[in-house]
This record gives sequence, structure tokens and C-alpha cells, in this order.
Amino acid sequence: MSTAQVLTAIQNSAVAHAVSKSNHMVGAGLQIVHVLGFILLLSSIVLISLRLLGLAFAQQPISKVGRDATRLIWLGLILTVASGTLMFVSSPRMYYYNPAFELKMLLLIAAVLIQVLLLRRVCANDSPSPAVARTTVALSLISWFGVGLAGRIIGFI
Amino acid sequence: MDMNTLVALGERIEQSSVGAAIAESRYAFPVIEGVHLIGLSISVGLIFITDLRLMGLLFTHVPVRDVIHHLRLYVLAGFALVFLSGGLLFWSEASALIESPAFPFKMLFMALAGVNALYFELVLAKQDAVQENRPLLPRNVKLAGAASLFLWTLVIICGRLIPYLPHWT
Repeated sequence: MSTAQVLTAIQNSAVAHAVSKSNHMVGAGLQIVHVLGFILLLSSIVLISLRLLGLAFAQQPISKVGRDATRLIWLGLILTVASGTLMFVSSPRMYYYNPAFELKMLLLIAAVLIQVLLLRRVCANDSPSPAVARTTVALSLISWFGVGLAGRIIGFI
Repeated sequence: MDMNTLVALGERIEQSSVGAAIAESRYAFPVIEGVHLIGLSISVGLIFITDLRLMGLLFTHVPVRDVIHHLRLYVLAGFALVFLSGGLLFWSEASALIESPAFPFKMLFMALAGVNALYFELVLAKQDAVQENRPLLPRNVKLAGAASLFLWTLVIICGRLIPYLPHWT
């Protein structure tokens, strides 16, 4: 099957019909869950970043702050990915050929890799080198801000 | 002032040079929307985290006073981005915002969240249990956290509903 055929098959699936043919407030509900999830996700990343830079909670061990923040990151990720997947499934052709969507997915992959490969390791150590911490924070924040920005542009191009 | 007068006023605002420039630019409007989202993820997001701490659900090892004092600067910086971008968005689509029922409700819930925050700051945070950083916080502190979480969630919901609810009827 070609990509176009796969996208068409998704668009004609029962799940896609359930979302796109229902009341348009279902779509609005998914958008709301997506935004709330992103807020939880990004604010937890900002909080870990502030701790790693020594700008907040400096008396608390990095690993302890990281543990609670990671819970919120997971909650935010589950909410955004679940709502985002349903949004994609309801109109896959619109999203797949949208350059802002493509950029968002690339930035999302980068952000998750930075999270898993770098930030998690930096947070496991209670006294990471300041240069490593700063670099990781910068990469992480730039990629997540990029995800949000690109995501907001999808609907306009 | 009736609704028609308000909408006419909105139309004059968005027809001004700045309003029209934002509305007509291909990228200005979506980029400002993106800045609005990032700003509120920082400000409202850190407020959510503070609320969860007040409710005793997360970061219980961090003293409440530290959470409030350490995050304040970044909450305010996030709000600066939100109000700046929100002001520009209003400038470019004032009449549509005035006509949507979601917009006045968003403003109402924001005002209530502000009153709640002010009451917490001026009255509840002054209690000995908060000042002395006792592990068990009074019920009114938990309630203030829950109220803030609830009201800001309503602000976000109303904001996202603006394009979905363009008219009252």
C-alpha cells in the first residue's frame, strides 16, 4: 500500500468516522485535552530546567524534584499523545501533507530523544556538571517550545 | 453600550494599522498564537504545579513558601508573554472575540482566579502553618489550591473554545 492509500484507509476507519462525523464539539474537546496536556508537560520541563540551573528549589536534590516532575511529564504526554492521535486519525491527509505538522513531529522526536537520552541521565545525578546541565536544558526547552509553536501553526497553513 | 456598539468598536480596533498588519500577515497571527501558548504553559503551568503542591499532591518535600517564592518570577515572565501576545491577538480580531460567548467567560474566570490568588497571598499565606512550613497545611490552603486549579482550567477551556463558539445564539 502507498502512503496515500494508508492515509485514506485511516480516514475511512470507524474511529475516524466516530470523531470527524460527530458533533464538532468532540473535536473541540480533543483540542482542550491536547492544550491542557501540553501545559502540564511543558511546565514540568520548565520546572526541572529551573532546578538544574539552580534557579528554583536549589535546596532540594535534583533526583527528588525530577521524580515528581517526571510523573507530570508522563501525565501530560499521555493526554497529548492520546488526543493528538485521535485528531490525526480523524483527518490524516490534512495533517500528513501539512509542513508545520511534519516539523512538529521532527521536533517532537528530537524532544523525546533529548528527554530520554540526556535529561533523564542528568537528573539521575544529584550534582551534574553545570555545562552539561545548561546544554541539556537549552536543547530540551528549544525543542519543546518548537513543538508548541509548530503545532499552533498547523491550523493556519 | 449595546452589543452592536461593542462589535463596531472591535471592528475599528482591528482595522487600525497594527491590527490589520497582524491579520493580513501570513505568519504573524499563528506565531503570536504560538507565543501565547508557550507563555501560558509557563505561567498557568507553574501555577498548576503550585496548586498541586498546595493540595499536597506533588512536590510535598518542597516547602510551600519556596514553591511560591522561587516560581513567582517565572510565572510573571510567562504572564508578560501571555498578555503581550493576547493583546496583539485582540488587536487583530477584536470584533470576533467580542462576539464569542467563550471570550467574556474566559475574562471572568481569569478575574476570579486573580481574586483567589490575591486572597491567598494577602490572607491565607500569612498563616503560621504556611510561614513556619509545617507539614500539615490548613484546609483553606488546600481549597485555595483546588479553586485555582479549577478556575485556570476553565480559563484554558474557554480560550480554546473561542473559535468553536463564534456567536451567542
